[in-house]
Amino acid sequence: MRLTSGRRLLAALAGLMLTAAPASSQPTTTTIRVATHYNAQQIAPMLACFRQYEAEHPGTRIVHQQVSYEDFIQTILISRVGRAPVDIYNLYSIWAPQLIATRALDPPPFEIERFVRANYTPAAIGAATIAQRLWGIPNSVSVYQLVYNKKLLEAAGFSAPPRTPEERMRIAGAITKKNRQGNSVIGGYAFDLSGANVTHVFYSEMYAARVPPYTADGRHTNLRSPTALAILTKQTELFRRGITSNSVLAVDFAGGGVGMAVMANWMKDTLRSVLGSRFEETVGVAPIPTDGPGGTMIYSFFWGVDAASRAKPQSWDLLRWLNSPRGHGGLSCTGAMLAGMGDLTGNRADLSAMRGQTADPFSQAYIAALAAPGAASQPNIWHASEVDRLLKYYIQLAWAGRMTPAEALAAADGDIGAILAEQP
Amino acid sequence: MRAAVDHSRPGLLDWLSSKRVAPYLFVAPVLIFALSLFLGPLSFAAYISFTDWDGVADPKWVGLKNYTYLIGRDRFFWTSIWNTLYFAAGSVILGVPSALIVAALIAQSRFQSFWRTVYWLPMVTNIVAVAYIWWYILNDTNGLLNRTLDLFGLPGPNWLTSTSMSMFSVILVASWMSLGQNILVFLSGLSGIDETYYEAARLDGANPWQVFRHVTIPLLRPTILFVLITSLINALSSFVLMMILTEGGPARSTTVTGLYLYDMAFTDLRLGRASAAAYILFAIIFVISLIQLRLLRRGGVEAH
Repeated sequence: MRLTSGRRLLAALAGLMLTAAPASSQPTTTTIRVATHYNAQQIAPMLACFRQYEAEHPGTRIVHQQVSYEDFIQTILISRVGRAPVDIYNLYSIWAPQLIATRALDPPPFEIERFVRANYTPAAIGAATIAQRLWGIPNSVSVYQLVYNKKLLEAAGFSAPPRTPEERMRIAGAITKKNRQGNSVIGGYAFDLSGANVTHVFYSEMYAARVPPYTADGRHTNLRSPTALAILTKQTELFRRGITSNSVLAVDFAGGGVGMAVMANWMKDTLRSVLGSRFEETVGVAPIPTDGPGGTMIYSFFWGVDAASRAKPQSWDLLRWLNSPRGHGGLSCTGAMLAGMGDLTGNRADLSAMRGQTADPFSQAYIAALAAPGAASQPNIWHASEVDRLLKYYIQLAWAGRMTPAEALAAADGDIGAILAEQP
Repeated sequence: MRAAVDHSRPGLLDWLSSKRVAPYLFVAPVLIFALSLFLGPLSFAAYISFTDWDGVADPKWVGLKNYTYLIGRDRFFWTSIWNTLYFAAGSVILGVPSALIVAALIAQSRFQSFWRTVYWLPMVTNIVAVAYIWWYILNDTNGLLNRTLDLFGLPGPNWLTSTSMSMFSVILVASWMSLGQNILVFLSGLSGIDETYYEAARLDGANPWQVFRHVTIPLLRPTILFVLITSLINALSSFVLMMILTEGGPARSTTVTGLYLYDMAFTDLRLGRASAAAYILFAIIFVISLIQLRLLRRGGVEAH
């Protein structure tokens, strides 16, 4: 039988419809994009969880996007200008005020807020809270303590770490060794000059003295306080006496080039990988030296969802799934990832499940510091990154002797005060 | 009759090929390129400089506030301008004469291609790699330079970690990096000088220094001025080396205006203020370039 051209056309159309029909009946795929600053090795446990979630939730695809820490907030904002926002972000808490001001973040639904309040420590919840409102699910928690080289201290005749800035000066001075050019071979004490660490150590010392660097409303600084002046004066003295310098860096600690430095807990992995079996006999952890009651600074990351995401409910569902106990020895996916990095968390179930991995004296000292009454969350102030850089500049001017500590703190207070006055 | 009238009327092709239109057609691609990629962003930046804008929310008109803040209140802005001028002057003072001397030596050597390649290598090396290599060379305690100085019993300065030495070190590295390019330009200028001038000078009893001083330099003056002007403009707008080598520190002692406004725009998200800073920097470079051009006309091209 021969088909006429009209019938041929009809047959072709019917064929097309038949082939198109199964495609249109397939469920549409929801893609959730997750942006973090973690590298491939760090994020690996999380990627395995993503694949598991995809298998359990057909029609969901999860894509990880690594963004450098330095460019994170810019990347978020630029991707939003390009109408291609990422759905889930791992946010450093101090970035949040600017993102909230530009309405970039989605406030979590009621059930997520209830989940967070039931399962996380107050400090972790506080870090994800801006203007009395919770903006996401807490992720990693970092805390600062004094890390010291037990062997170098012993060789200098000291059996215990310093408790006050004066003791720090004395012990660090005894450890310091220089070559004949006058450059440090072993620095008694080191600062970490990268990123915001100069400022973070200064804040930690202020919290240890129980004077917060900013007022509770985040509109003024306490940099003109006698406590701030005493802290910077003693730091400057370390430079003036040659106990430390800009070339004595905290990263040289693992190589035995530094006696003491204030470090965050996530340095454990680096120190352990360099020192190997000598880790426990070499590395000691002690509270931040202070003349005050004691304490330190906590800073945190939290998971947030973009307000312009096309998959907000799915993103919050995914986040809840990733942060609930999953079978990695009772750890959540986030907990498994953080444990792999030697990082801490504010998730109570994860903290409990991490007990085995955090039984060593190094982690125990940090966990104790986290729970101590003097541990305070870094305030989520307006333009915090800019403020941190500005304060670092003035602190370094004092260290270099280009300004007196009082002049540097007064200038910092003036400039930072102007930034804080901009906030709505 | 009608056909004759049509022929006398100029057609589209005639109009396009007329002297009034054709030149613009030829330069049209460049004009379109300039309008879309130069004048467009430039005008947008000019508008943004009068606003408060974080890149996301709508820009808020603030008039001259960004300019008055930078000029009157921001104490670091003028420090960054000073750092920029210091770096530019240092790069030119150190880089241009050394390139001229090396070029003159290469011009008289037997293995010109080899030397040209050696000095060109820094230009084709990634700036990140260059910065890292120099960071290790200039390290206070274990750097190659200080270890070498120690062999001779000399002191080891804090090249990159002292607020007073860091900019000098950056100038040193920048001059080394630009050496190859300047040498090539000088070699090209040197090859254009007629050998008879040198012969005449030597017949008159001039020694090599006198030949260089009284023959080479005057005849090379247009090339020298070209290298001076391009080196200065490059130096005034450069910031990548400082960003990688010192991160602008310590205590912002190597933060030039370009780096400062980069941080202002892309770290602090103050795009309006950063645009105003860019315009002020542009005005400064423009004035310096005008002065240079005036000097170039008087002592350079017009003199020949």
